[in-house]
Amino acid sequence: MKRFLLARLAQMVVVAVTVGALCFILMRVLPGDAAMRIAAGRYGPDAGIAGAAEKVRLELGLDRPWPAQFLDWLGDLLRFDLGHSLVTGAPVIEELKTQLGASVWLAAAALFLSLLIGPTIGLLSGLKPGGLADRLGLAGAAVFRAVPPFVLGLVLMLVFSKQFGWLPPAGFGSPREILLPALTLALGLAAMSSRVTRNAVTAVASAPYFAFARYKGLPEPVVVRRHGLRNAAIPVVSYLGLQAIYLIEGVVVVESLFAYPGIGHALVHAIVERDIPMVQGTALTMGLMFVVITAAVDAVSLWLDPRLRRAS
Amino acid sequence: MRIVKALFLTLALGASVPLGQAHAETLKIAGPWEIAGIDPAQTGYVFSRLQVAETLVTADREGKLVPGLAESWSVGEDGLSWRFTLRQNAVFHDGSPVTAETAAASLNRALAGVGVLSQAPIAKIVHEDRDVVVTLSKPFSALPAYLVHFSTIILAPSSFDAAGKVTGIVGSGPYRVKTLTPPARLEMEASGNWWGGAPGIADVSYLAVGQGETRAVMAESGEADLVFSMLPVSVDRLKADPKLDVQIATIPRTRLIKLNAASPFFDQIEERQAVSLALDRTGIAKVILRNPELAATQLFPPAMPGWHAADLPPLTRDIEQAKALLAKAGWTPGSDGILEQDGRRFSVGLITYASWPELPPIATAIQAQLREVGIEAKVSVGNSSEIPARHQDGTLEMGLVSRLYSIVPDPLGTLLNDYAPGGSDWGATGWENAEMQDTIAKLAVAGDPAERASLQHRSVEILQAELPGIPVTWSELAVVSNKRIAGVEVDPLEVNYGVAAIRWAK
Amino acid sequence: MTAIDISLATPHARFGASRLFGAALLLAVGGFAVLGPLVVKADPAVQDFSASLAPIGGDYLLGADHYGRSLLARLAHGARLSFGLAFLTMLAAAVPGVLLGLAAAWKGGWLARGLDLLATVVLALPGLMLVLLLMAFAPGNYGPLFLGLALTLWVEFYRVTRAATATILVQPQIEAARMLGFGPGYILRNQVFPAIAPMIATLSAFAMASAIVAVSTLSAISVGLQPPTPELGSMIVELLPYYAEAPVHVLLPAALIFLLVLGLQLIAQGDRS
Repeated sequence: MKRFLLARLAQMVVVAVTVGALCFILMRVLPGDAAMRIAAGRYGPDAGIAGAAEKVRLELGLDRPWPAQFLDWLGDLLRFDLGHSLVTGAPVIEELKTQLGASVWLAAAALFLSLLIGPTIGLLSGLKPGGLADRLGLAGAAVFRAVPPFVLGLVLMLVFSKQFGWLPPAGFGSPREILLPALTLALGLAAMSSRVTRNAVTAVASAPYFAFARYKGLPEPVVVRRHGLRNAAIPVVSYLGLQAIYLIEGVVVVESLFAYPGIGHALVHAIVERDIPMVQGTALTMGLMFVVITAAVDAVSLWLDPRLRRAS
Repeated sequence: MRIVKALFLTLALGASVPLGQAHAETLKIAGPWEIAGIDPAQTGYVFSRLQVAETLVTADREGKLVPGLAESWSVGEDGLSWRFTLRQNAVFHDGSPVTAETAAASLNRALAGVGVLSQAPIAKIVHEDRDVVVTLSKPFSALPAYLVHFSTIILAPSSFDAAGKVTGIVGSGPYRVKTLTPPARLEMEASGNWWGGAPGIADVSYLAVGQGETRAVMAESGEADLVFSMLPVSVDRLKADPKLDVQIATIPRTRLIKLNAASPFFDQIEERQAVSLALDRTGIAKVILRNPELAATQLFPPAMPGWHAADLPPLTRDIEQAKALLAKAGWTPGSDGILEQDGRRFSVGLITYASWPELPPIATAIQAQLREVGIEAKVSVGNSSEIPARHQDGTLEMGLVSRLYSIVPDPLGTLLNDYAPGGSDWGATGWENAEMQDTIAKLAVAGDPAERASLQHRSVEILQAELPGIPVTWSELAVVSNKRIAGVEVDPLEVNYGVAAIRWAK
Repeated sequence: MTAIDISLATPHARFGASRLFGAALLLAVGGFAVLGPLVVKADPAVQDFSASLAPIGGDYLLGADHYGRSLLARLAHGARLSFGLAFLTMLAAAVPGVLLGLAAAWKGGWLARGLDLLATVVLALPGLMLVLLLMAFAPGNYGPLFLGLALTLWVEFYRVTRAATATILVQPQIEAARMLGFGPGYILRNQVFPAIAPMIATLSAFAMASAIVAVSTLSAISVGLQPPTPELGSMIVELLPYYAEAPVHVLLPAALIFLLVLGLQLIAQGDRS
C-alpha cells in the first residue's frame, strides 16, 4: 500500500513538471504576438489593440528571457502559487476554484447519469447478444456517437426548456441548471459505456464459470448478480476512469451552449488569449486530477479483482 | 453509495421545483458579454450598461449628450479648459459622497490606462470645489463625448487596493453589486441611495450566455425577462411569440472590408471599386442578417443624422463593371478563371474573427462573390488581434471587420483614430488622404452646427469615393423582453440599458 | 486499465448477417464518398442566394444550405474529406500506437517504462489543448488538425495493445515457441496479431467516429477548416442556426456520420454468441 502511494506521488511530480514545462514551451513557440492576443482578450475587439499591447508588454515583462520566466513559475509553484491570469488579473487559483469546481460537478453529474443509462442498457444487450435489446442498443449508441454534442444539447434544450418549460437552458449553481448539460454529456457517454458493458457482459456470460453457475441451477438473477456483475464491472470501471478524464477536459462545446462556466471554456479562452499562467495552472491541475483518477480506478479494480493484487 | 443517493436526490428534487417561483421577484437579464476581469477599461461597459457605475456625461437615446454625474459643463474662451460641475446629491454604494476629488482620481486612472481618454489631447485633470477641471493641450470640442465612455466610470476609493488595482466595483448607480461570479454571473440589488430615485425592480441578475441559440431559448422559456443581442435567424420566430416583445435598433456599427491599399492588389482605386461592385450586399443582408435594409450603401446608416449623406450615389453590385474596372487596372483572366497581372495571381487572404458570430458567414459569402469576378479570397477565421497585428507588420491583404462608430457617442472619435496619418489598426491601411485628415481635424475643433454638417458630409464623400475600407452591411441590435416587464427601451449607443426604469407589468 | 482489453477482444467472430449488413452500409457510405464527388456535377462552393435553404426534393435533390449551395454536392465532397481525414487520423494513431505497444510488451524494461510515461503525460495533457496549440501554427489547414487528433488518439491504441500483448506473451504456447527458437516475426504474425486484431478493429471504429466529432466540435469553437471547405462536422455547425427553419438539412451530415459509425460497429463487433 505504501509503495503504491509512493509510486503515485512520484508519478504526480513527474506529470506536474512535464506538463508545466510542455505548456510553457508550446505557448512560447506559438506564432503571433502574445501581447496583442492578451490585449485583445482584455479589452475586446473594439479597442485600439496595438496601443494596448504596448502597455501590456511593459506591464507583464513579456520581453524577459524565457528561462527566467520559467524558473519564476517553478519557484512560485513550489510555494503553491499559480500566479495571476494575464487577462482577468485574478489569481489563477481563484479562477480554477470556480471553473474547475463547476466542471467537476458537471462531470460527476454526467457520469452518474450515464451510469444509470449506459451499463443498464449494456447489461440488457449483453445477456442476449443479437437480441432486440442488443440491436436497439447498437443503433442508439451509433446515433449518440454520430450526433455532435452541441446538436444533442440543443435538441434537449428545445424539448425540456422550450416545449415543457421544466429546466432552464442556461446558468449554473443549482442542481436544476446542471441537469441538461449533464444529460447531454451522459447520453454521449452512455453510447460508449453501454457497448463496453455489453461486450464485457458477453465475455463473462460466455465464460465457463458463468455457464457452470447456470448448470448448478441457480436462478438467473442470482447468477447475474453473483457471477456476472462483479466480473463485468472491472473493464467498465477502467473505462469510466478514462471517461471522467475526457469529461472534465472535453466538454467545452456543451459548456458554451449551456453557458456553464467550466474549465474547458476557460482553457480555450486562455489558449486563444495566450494567458500562459492560466493554461499552465489548468493543465497542471487537470494532469494531477488525471493521476488521482487513475489511482482511484486502479484501487477499485484491485478491490474488484483480488487476482490483480498478486500480479502487481 | 450514500453520496450517489444524495446526488440523485438533489437532482430529482431540483428537477421538480417549478419554474419561476424560485426567483419570482428578480429581473433576469441575459446577454452575450462575459465579465472577464473587473478593470473599467476591460468590462466597464457591463457595469455602465447595467447601471452599477456612472460616468460624468451620458447620452440619451438620440445620442445627445446629457448630464450624468456632472450636472453641467462648460468650456473656457480658449477652448482648452473644460469645467464639469458635479451634482451634489450623488453617493457611492459605500455611503461616501461623489466628490470632484474622487471623480478626478478615477479619471486620472483612466487617463493613465488603456482606453479612449488617452486618445484625447488631455494635459491634466484636477479638481476645484465641486468641479472637475480638464485642461487640454489643444482645442477639442468632442471632449464631453469621451467622458461617456465606459472606461471613465467614476468609482469610489474603496474599489481599489493599495496598489491601485480594482478589487471591487463600488459605483454610484441605482444598483450595487451583490455577488459577482466571473465570467458568467452578476447579481445586483437596489443601492437605496441613488440620486435618480429607487429603481422599478430591486433585484436584478445578469447571466452571460455566449451562444445565440441558447439566448433565444432563454427568452422563449421565460427563464430570462430581458435578452440582448438576438441572432437574426431567430428574430422572426421570437416576434411571433405572444409572450414576447422584440425591439430592434440600428446601431452605429458597420461591417466593412479593410483593405491594404498599399498592396499591389488594392493600390489602384479601380481595384477597390471593383471589389465593392462585386459584393451582393442586399443578398448578404437578406440571407445572413435577415434584413435587406442593412445592405450598406455607404459607411453610415440613415439612423445616424449628419453622418448619412442621402445624396451620395449608393454602393451597388455590378459584376460587369467590376470586371471592366479590373481589366482597366491591368488584370487579365488566367487559365483557371482567377485574374493575373505580370504573373501574379489575384489571390489574397481574407482574415476575420469570430467575436461576432455573423462575421465568418459574411466572409464565406464574400469569398464566393469575389470568385465571380476572378478574385480568389482565402478566408481564415482567427483571433481579433490578428487584424491589428497584420496591419502593423504590413502583411494584411483583406480583413472583414465590425467597426463601432459610437466608441464615444460622436463618430468623430472613431474617424480620428481610423483615418489618422499612418493608418490605423481597424481603419485605413496603406491609405492616406490629406483632405480627409484636414476635414476631421477641423471637425474636432468645430462648434458651429452648420460648419460641422458640411465637414461631416465632405468626410463621408471622400470615404465613398476613395474606398479605403469597403462597407458591406450596417448592424442592428435586437432585444427581446418578456411581456411580464414594461419600460424596456433599446439604447442604440449601448451606453446604458435603462434597467432602473423597468418595472413589472401589471 | 488492463481490464479494458478483455471487453474489446472478440471471441470468435463469424461472418453473419449483421456483419454483412455492416459491410453493405460501409460500402454504400464509402461509395458515396469516393464516387459522389465524381458523379455530382454541382460545385459545392457556388452560392445562389435565391435558393437559400431550398427544400429537399425540389430543384436540389437534397436541398440547399443557407447560401443556396447544393447540399448533395456538399455532402458528397464533405463525406470524402471527413471520412478520408478520419481514416488517416485513425491510421496515424493506430500504426504507431500498436507498434509501440508491441515493442513495449516485447522488450519491457526501460523502453516500456519510458513509453508508459510518455503515454501518461500525453493523457494528462488536455487533448483539446494539444489540438488547439497545433492548430495555432497553421490555422485552417488539415495538417495540424490531423496531427493533433492523431497525437491524442494513439495512446489508447498503445495502452490496449501493450496490455493485451503482455497477457498473450506469458501464455505457455508462446513461451514454448520462443524456446523452440521461433523469431519475433513469426510469433507476432501467428500468435499475437490474430489475438489482438479484433480489438484493434473495434478501437479503430471508435477512433474514426471520435475524429469526425472532434472536428465538428472544433469548428463549433471557430477553430477548423477554411470556409468554404465542405466538411461534415463544420456543415452541421454552419447550418445549426437554421434549425427551426430547416431541421432536416442540419441532420443530413449527422445522418451520414451515423451510417458510417453503425457500419463500422457492426463490422467490428460481429455476431457474438
